[in-house]
Amino acid sequence: MSECTGSIATVEPSRSASRPVRGWRAKRQRAYLLGLLPALAVLAVVTVAPAVYLLVTSLTPLSLVNPETAWDFSAPHRNYLSLLQDDRFRNSAWIQVKLSVFTVLLQLLAGLAVAMLLNARWRFVEAVRTTFLIPMVLPPIVVAIIWKVLYTPDISPIHRFLAAVGRPAGAMITSPGWALWAIIIADVWEWFPFTMLMLLAALQLMPDEPLEAARIDGAGPWQLFLWIVLPLLRPTLLVAALFRLVESIKAFPLIYILTEGGPGTVTEVTNYYAFLQAFNFSYLGFASAITVVMVAATFLMSWLIIRMVGMEVDVE
Amino acid sequence: MPEGKARVRRRGLSRRQFLGVAAGAGLLATGGGRRVWAATGGAKPFAGVTINGAMFEHTFSAVLKEMVPEFEEKTGMKVNLDLQAFPVYNQRADLELSTKGSAYDFLNITFIYSGRWIGAGWFTSLEEFIKDPNRTPADWGADDFLGGAVAVFKNKRGERFGFPWLGEAQVMTVARPDLIQRAGLKIPENYDDFMKVLAAVNDKDNVKAFVSHKTHHWMWIHFMQGFGGNVFKDPPENLTPTLDSPQSIQAADFYANILRSYCPEGVLSYTDDQMVMAQVQGRANISMHTMSWTMPVADPAKSKVADKVVFAMVPAGPKGLYPGVGSHALGIPVGSKKKEAAWEFIKWAVGKEFTWKLASERDFTSPCRLSVLNHPDFKKKMTKNGVDLVALSTKTFEISEKGGYMRYRTVPVFPQVGDKINKAIEVITTQQMSAEAAMRQAQTQAIADLKRAGVKIDG
Repeated sequence: MSECTGSIATVEPSRSASRPVRGWRAKRQRAYLLGLLPALAVLAVVTVAPAVYLLVTSLTPLSLVNPETAWDFSAPHRNYLSLLQDDRFRNSAWIQVKLSVFTVLLQLLAGLAVAMLLNARWRFVEAVRTTFLIPMVLPPIVVAIIWKVLYTPDISPIHRFLAAVGRPAGAMITSPGWALWAIIIADVWEWFPFTMLMLLAALQLMPDEPLEAARIDGAGPWQLFLWIVLPLLRPTLLVAALFRLVESIKAFPLIYILTEGGPGTVTEVTNYYAFLQAFNFSYLGFASAITVVMVAATFLMSWLIIRMVGMEVDVE
Repeated sequence: MPEGKARVRRRGLSRRQFLGVAAGAGLLATGGGRRVWAATGGAKPFAGVTINGAMFEHTFSAVLKEMVPEFEEKTGMKVNLDLQAFPVYNQRADLELSTKGSAYDFLNITFIYSGRWIGAGWFTSLEEFIKDPNRTPADWGADDFLGGAVAVFKNKRGERFGFPWLGEAQVMTVARPDLIQRAGLKIPENYDDFMKVLAAVNDKDNVKAFVSHKTHHWMWIHFMQGFGGNVFKDPPENLTPTLDSPQSIQAADFYANILRSYCPEGVLSYTDDQMVMAQVQGRANISMHTMSWTMPVADPAKSKVADKVVFAMVPAGPKGLYPGVGSHALGIPVGSKKKEAAWEFIKWAVGKEFTWKLASERDFTSPCRLSVLNHPDFKKKMTKNGVDLVALSTKTFEISEKGGYMRYRTVPVFPQVGDKINKAIEVITTQQMSAEAAMRQAQTQAIADLKRAGVKIDG
């Protein structure tokens, strides 16, 4: 009830007025949910359902020649127990760790170096900027074939040059000590443009004020880079690293074309081992178990990295 | 016309006529139209029918694809033929066949998967087609095939599931026999002579003595058996692997030493093509692969050594001679809905006429038809630098049929064990492990894989 005192009347909000606001918020949320439902349904069909099926299959001894095993849950732990005893799986996991660590690190370093160069705003550099993207836009199989030529002594221009200057080199892809490095080099060449683009964008959006202030205070180029540029780039580096880490776990075309996991198993990463089990031997149940373990490890790794490194930056 | 009644003229089809046309169209679409059409005197028995098939890339399949329009013209059928690289084809076919779907009406039955694909019931028995004179005239010659080549595509009851288009024998191809002669030696017939030859000719004229490729579970097995080893104890009945027997270990060490000491750099990554190119370009001397792969070495249009190359039987080991043989066939997936049409195509593709055309006009060197193999003109064509290749191939097939030693290759679980053999040879050649350690590891892993497949293992 309002009271008229001769001054501006004050009206206390009644309970019934707040109910329309809450009702409107609920309606809005329902509307958002309704709008999202079709997309969620598609996501469920193309992502969640296959993932659930993968998990279910990993609990069976499914083999293509025995399709009735698709619903054999008599020993759901058997594939996972097998994995624990499988030396080749453990080896593949270790190879995967090595591949991922080195490819991500080198892609970040190479990407950062080239991004810093391209950020210099020299005309010549701007003109050739597009050529740095070429490796990334080539189909992966084309990249693999290019490197197969480069690594085959019979036809490789690199090997011919080295032989001509009196320093013949052996085949990297058949050397146990060098085969993995051959894959790493090819992978870094292919994907450093990705990190380069992300870091270049971050560099170009970087505020000038902290840098100018630091210069005025007498900071040299290396100090500027270490104490200002790098901390400001940290979130971008983290995102780029995460992207590349997840992609490195999917490395396949290079291994399939260059080494097929050999010589022996020195380049046999986990997803290649899963491919062999699924498509060469038709052990779909066992291959599914390998894949489930890979997915879980990827999630765990990503979560750990985000927790450890963090996303906030303080440039004070 | 009766008085008082006007004749009403109908326009269009009557219901009876319409039903008749629809039934005829339906028969045509399912490939059964041949009999109907014959009855009605039509020129193209399979007009309107489309069939789909796939094979791996090979001289044969490339020419087959090229010649498909001839078949289409004759029959009215449309044929879509997919060609894929060997390993890709096998994986896709394996997956496709397991669905028992109808995407393909004919497929290549690959040698090493024949036991698996036929054993799993993924292909159609062709017996009803062969035995029906309306579908297969007697002069088509179902018995005109190399016995050893057809046997691979039969089940335990002797029913045929495919007819081979290729019967290939593993032979020794010597690209530079002149280097061997220069060293005062002969083409080797046993392992001791073979090693003497390798040592004597290696790096002469910048030619490596030997070349191979990375499928060791094909290239090495005749050495394994030559030393007295085997892949399984008694295939197909007893599939206990015997990769770690002393004979297998000795054979692995022997072969790895050859790869390490006498082959071009990077041989462990060589594909079949790279191996052949090394010989064609005169960079490598001796190989031991199937004739259908190494024939380009004798082709004057492609090879630098065509005027020199000789072919011979692979050398014999202490326990005998075990040259490999292989064959591939065309068959009808069990899920195909156009089996009649598919059979018509297969009959043409492996028929006498087409096989002869390929053998006489193209460089197809490993036909399976006896009538073609024994034709004097073909034998003359297949005599290279004084060597009768038909006789060499036929002898190889006879040896393998008598010995039965190729049975290891067609058991359903061979791919798993073959993979372990490949890895073991690589590991020994690159000195990551000794032959004994590597073969013991291969044995352990093979047993684990076979148990996973439900195979009973001794002990």
